[in-house]
Amino acid sequence: MAGQSGSQLSLFTPDEVEFVAEDELVEIVPNLRMDSLNFICGDYGPFYPQIAIQVPLWLALALKKRGKCTIRPPQWMSIENLTQVLEGERESHAFQTLPFHYVEISRLLFDRARDDIPDVYMVRSLVEDIRDVRFHKVETNLENFTASAVTWKNMAAMEVNIIRAFSGRALQAFYRHENEQAVPDLDRTQDRQPQNLNDRPRRNLRPR
Amino acid sequence: MKIRTLKLREAHKPSAAYGAANGSSFCSILWDQQARHLVTASSSDSGISIHDALLPSTTPKILRHHRDGVTALALSPNSTCLASGSIDNSVKLYKFPGGEFETNITRFTLPIRALAFNQSGSMLAAAGDDDGIKLINTVDGSIARVLKGHKGSVTGLAFDPMGEYLASIDSMGTVLFWELQSGTILHTLKGVAPNTGLDTSLVNILSWSPDGEMLAVPGLRNDVVMYDRDTAEKVFTLRGDHLLPLCFLSWSPNGKYMATSSLDRQVLIWDVLKKQDIDRQKFEDRICCMAWKPVGNTLAVVDVSGKYGLWESVVPSSMKSPTEDIPQSSKKSNGLLLFEEEGQEPCSSGSLGDNGEDSIGESGPPSRKRIRKRSEFDEDRSTENTIDDYGLLPQRMAPKRAREQLDKGANEELRSTAISVRSKMQEAFQPGVTPVQPGKRRFLCYNMLGTITTMEYDGYSHIEIDFHDTSRGPRVPAMTDHFGFTMACLNENGSVFANPCKGDKNMSTLMYRPFSSWANNSEWYMRFEGEEVKVVALGVHWVAAITSLNYLRIFTDGGLQKHILSLDGPAVTASGSKNRLAVVTHASNCLPSNDQVLEFHVFDIRNGTRPSRGRLPLSPGSHLIWFGFSEEGLLSSYDSKGVLRVYTSQYGGSWLPLFSANKTKKSDENYWVVGLNASKLFCIVCKSPEVFPQVMPKPILTLLDLSSPLASSDLGADVLENEFILNNLHLFQIQKRIEESSSDGRDTTELDDEAFSTEAAQDRCILRLIASCCNSDKLVRATELVKLLTLEKSMKGAIKLVTALKLPNLADRFNNILEERMLNETKDMSEAAGVAVNQGSGLGRNGTSSEVSSEPSCIPSSSTTLSAPHFVKKVVNRGAQKGRSDHNQTAREVQPEAATSGGSAELRTTAAAGNQETSRTSNPFLKSSSNHEGAAKEAMCQRPPSNPFKKSVK
Repeated sequence: MAGQSGSQLSLFTPDEVEFVAEDELVEIVPNLRMDSLNFICGDYGPFYPQIAIQVPLWLALALKKRGKCTIRPPQWMSIENLTQVLEGERESHAFQTLPFHYVEISRLLFDRARDDIPDVYMVRSLVEDIRDVRFHKVETNLENFTASAVTWKNMAAMEVNIIRAFSGRALQAFYRHENEQAVPDLDRTQDRQPQNLNDRPRRNLRPR
Repeated sequence: MKIRTLKLREAHKPSAAYGAANGSSFCSILWDQQARHLVTASSSDSGISIHDALLPSTTPKILRHHRDGVTALALSPNSTCLASGSIDNSVKLYKFPGGEFETNITRFTLPIRALAFNQSGSMLAAAGDDDGIKLINTVDGSIARVLKGHKGSVTGLAFDPMGEYLASIDSMGTVLFWELQSGTILHTLKGVAPNTGLDTSLVNILSWSPDGEMLAVPGLRNDVVMYDRDTAEKVFTLRGDHLLPLCFLSWSPNGKYMATSSLDRQVLIWDVLKKQDIDRQKFEDRICCMAWKPVGNTLAVVDVSGKYGLWESVVPSSMKSPTEDIPQSSKKSNGLLLFEEEGQEPCSSGSLGDNGEDSIGESGPPSRKRIRKRSEFDEDRSTENTIDDYGLLPQRMAPKRAREQLDKGANEELRSTAISVRSKMQEAFQPGVTPVQPGKRRFLCYNMLGTITTMEYDGYSHIEIDFHDTSRGPRVPAMTDHFGFTMACLNENGSVFANPCKGDKNMSTLMYRPFSSWANNSEWYMRFEGEEVKVVALGVHWVAAITSLNYLRIFTDGGLQKHILSLDGPAVTASGSKNRLAVVTHASNCLPSNDQVLEFHVFDIRNGTRPSRGRLPLSPGSHLIWFGFSEEGLLSSYDSKGVLRVYTSQYGGSWLPLFSANKTKKSDENYWVVGLNASKLFCIVCKSPEVFPQVMPKPILTLLDLSSPLASSDLGADVLENEFILNNLHLFQIQKRIEESSSDGRDTTELDDEAFSTEAAQDRCILRLIASCCNSDKLVRATELVKLLTLEKSMKGAIKLVTALKLPNLADRFNNILEERMLNETKDMSEAAGVAVNQGSGLGRNGTSSEVSSEPSCIPSSSTTLSAPHFVKKVVNRGAQKGRSDHNQTAREVQPEAATSGGSAELRTTAAAGNQETSRTSNPFLKSSSNHEGAAKEAMCQRPPSNPFKKSVK
């Protein structure tokens, strides 16, 4: 499955994608009073106990780790919504609307804030099901991958990551095939003119 | 009532091998239909004993088929088939009364806890620690249905006598009503019965009344609660002298009486219609099962040590016999006469397993006795009217009773009396309390600081105190409350609790519990004889309690009884903050229009004064539901129509409506107010129809903007108008506080800063209002607004604005206003300077007060606030706290500087230049000094520059 074999194929490791996802905003309910926090990414706070506030996920998790807040699960992470999405995913060919970082956010919350999510087992299995269905869809879509029709809406970060490198290369290949006559293949042209000394330094600079 | 003793005979040996460790085990007892045999079983004995009721001395027949203790017994209605369930997970069927083993009808993976036959005997329901209730066809042993829905182990099952429903109860106290036809859950009553936990010798049971109209379930308050057959609404309760939760209940065959046994080892006999206990008996051990003799006035009991006995003539002979007028629904007779008439009458419950009833019927031919009995029933038909009366009575009364019950609940909840009981004086309530909900934790107090929650178990409560800010508030250990506190109040230093009196025995008690004290054991109790605490309040170093005798009792922290005052009327509520106590009382009876007539009093506890009192306004037809102080210390009230009012001293003390739930509310939300500050209301949003929050999950405060109930104006700038009013109020408050603290001789620096930033905000708001006025061609209004501007810069901005909007006429007017103001200003300034000369070092204070007095009027002369006195003070302040490098402050400095008011800039310059310590701030003003006006300069020169520094040195 692409999801597992992704590590060498994809451009970013899942950890890196997760890191990017930590900038998403989530709602927390702090249980302490704290002045505003000023970060490069923005100012958050001031924090008042029992009053919900939006902060980046990484800050939420850091506060959660210290027992200073509870994280309110995002709206889409309700059983009703997820069941609906799962049904939609199974029924239709298109991707349902989910947050771009749904895989990472849900993963982080399940790992570190499981006590804040009502019915965590159910939610977790739903999210995993959705992810599996969508990854499967990504794979089947790849099978009939054509350069002309690459319009997949609502793909999430992890899913994009799986096919990013592959599709880039594939598109390049398509491009190369279509313009085979016009632009001679680089490799072959290089092979044909090994004796040209002037080309050598330039060739060394090339990535491949 | 006489206490008799009953001799019990041992049937099963209590054994420590299984069952509870203390030797108590759950035992069951049954009569057969003709009352010739008694069947007993014990969860610590694998044998089932069939005793001959007529010859008790003969040794019982013992059936040893189970490999482990027997936990459940059931006898088919025609007494031909006995079912037993055991800890060995199996359900077995026997012939009766012979006792021949017939079949292992089903198996579970965990012990069985309950068995029940339906009325025709065609179906057996079995359940236990497994998660489903199995409905088993008794003929072929096929499983007709598995009903899943309970979260704990099912300990009680009861088929409705009319054959439509099955009721089940689990160890967590949840009752489910199942519809047999569809196998769906009709009603769920969560946590209505006690949670028996893991003690298997104590099980929750439930029982339908013989007429099927009511379901009896043990309640949470050592009572029996009757639920309506169809609606599952509470109909009434049997509450009396049981001191501990019930462990068994049994209806008499006619449904007129009920026997209940409790953990307190008593068995009570109730007259159900009168809801009164008529007899009782105390036993050596807990009675865990009882059975009324089907014919005759006898109750068979068995206790947890396996001893059984017969209580003869239970119901006094003066009363109707328990077997008289047995209600006969056609279905019941169908069940009884199953053998003869089977197949002719449709049996609604038997739809799942009708076919094979005969096989059970066959095993025992109908005895003569039964036929005789049938003829008795036929006779009974003649008296059916009376039976019907009994049968229908509860049904007819059900809705009415339910409403009464509701009303009672509402009264209990203290808050919403007036909703349910119209034209009645509102009862006393404690702000931040939620009503009692059986089996659930509730708030005794919820304020901006923290919460006090309580949960009642049997006879005592468990109280927890939590602070919202876990990092700062003290950690308070949970406590057990034997008083049953219903009122509480919490602040930083301690908590106070009180309970109403319950009967003659329990006096009303007040308890104060400090969170930290240097002395041990510094909590204290006060008892009130013949008096009941209605409301409590807490402040800094004082505790107040208002009692039913309309006494306001004030105690100190340490429990000293300091003052006792008589209030004017019965208390409604009270709230404390710092050294102020606010009390709301009834001023008179309700008006005919249902309006409460309330009065409030504010007491200053430290000084022993009453700063303000007056009537407390409410929306028509509403009642007070929250009362307290805002974070700034303003008295606020919230009524049931969703209007928040704040008390100000404007207009000689009046209440301003600052929030109306109807205007902001989404239709499906209710707001439960917790507190407020200057611009926001803190509340918990409850989804309708709920009006109060639950403890779990932890509620979250929502902030709502305060908004005056403005008329919708032709301006179309409601937001700005609202902001304008709120800013005005805010300014007024700040000025009042400045006045107060300066008269106390305290430092007003921070308040001055706050006043300044509010003024700036107000100017911004006014400018925007002017813009919208100009856009909608309301030029007169724009001119009025300009006069309200405080800063010179803002006035210039206004002139620029109208010039840009191509309103030269208006610009001229604005210019005139500005000139007029500057003229006044210079005049005032020279006066002020003169005063300064005269008063010398007293200037600082004088300046402040002149500023205060001039600002409320705010019209042309308001610029004085900006000029001399104000800025003198500012510089002085800066000198005093030179190290402060506050963002705001620098911003503020720049702003007035830009306003090229010669007077103020010059003043600052002179002042700042002299003050060497503030070299950082002095430079910009030196620069600006070049563009001041000559007249202003002269005025300034008259002024001795030394004055401000005198103050700063001081």
